[in-house]
Amino acid sequence: MKIETHIDKFRRLDAAVARLRPDVDCELWIWTAMNACVNLLNAALHRARLTDETDSFHTQVEGLYARPDRARGTLTDAIHAPGDVMHAGQPALGQPLPDAIADASAALALIENLREPYVRGGEAPAAGATAEWEGAYRTCVDQLSHALGISESR
Amino acid sequence: MNDRMHTAKAERIERSLGLLDAEAFEAVIEGAMLAGTHWFNMLLHRAGLAAESADAMHAEFLTAGARRKVAVRLPAALAALDEIEALRTTHVRGDMPDGPVAARRALACLARLREEATKRSTA
Repeated sequence: MKIETHIDKFRRLDAAVARLRPDVDCELWIWTAMNACVNLLNAALHRARLTDETDSFHTQVEGLYARPDRARGTLTDAIHAPGDVMHAGQPALGQPLPDAIADASAALALIENLREPYVRGGEAPAAGATAEWEGAYRTCVDQLSHALGISESR
Repeated sequence: MNDRMHTAKAERIERSLGLLDAEAFEAVIEGAMLAGTHWFNMLLHRAGLAAESADAMHAEFLTAGARRKVAVRLPAALAALDEIEALRTTHVRGDMPDGPVAARRALACLARLREEATKRSTA
């Protein structure tokens, strides 16, 4: 998608994150924080010309995109070079990342790794654990905002 | 994961969804997928189509053979989860128009999944 579309999506998702509590709403907080960060990551990767700003959407299958026919409102499967990434390192880009994007990707990976135990699995967050999650989110947003030259801190 | 845990997870995610409105359509669609998948897994376990130790991650990722069985035994639930997952591509990872309409549709599909799961758990 386009850089501006990713940033619009990030802002809606970030506003949703602000309405959720990472302890009480841990499943939806984790997922929404992850999606917010992935959108900023895609915007930053496009801006750095590490990925292409294509008019296609990543599907649930790594490396498979859906290309819209906007006049008809239909989608066609497509395989092409990234494009939007699905998660940090998925797909791997095969080239070094700028420091800010690398730091953000590491923070995003921490959030993504919460999915198995806390969303798909039955673990409940231990007291104080969510401070690390919120710190990772903040790091990701701050680093990617810096890379994009936008101000998104709250 | 057993019935009790799937139910607790699905109900907590639904409570979290209650904090959001349809304008937050990406988060709403994702929440519908998360809660709906817990209801869907509960149905799979009860129907003997998947063990409690083998939760499905996405309906799309079921094997072709498993999908055929689920389509026969749980057609309404499969259709509802498929629809939510399709909305993820168009409106969460994509920017097709009418996001709030898509969010409301995802919530309707989630309600269908909950209805199927609770109907079968009280039958």
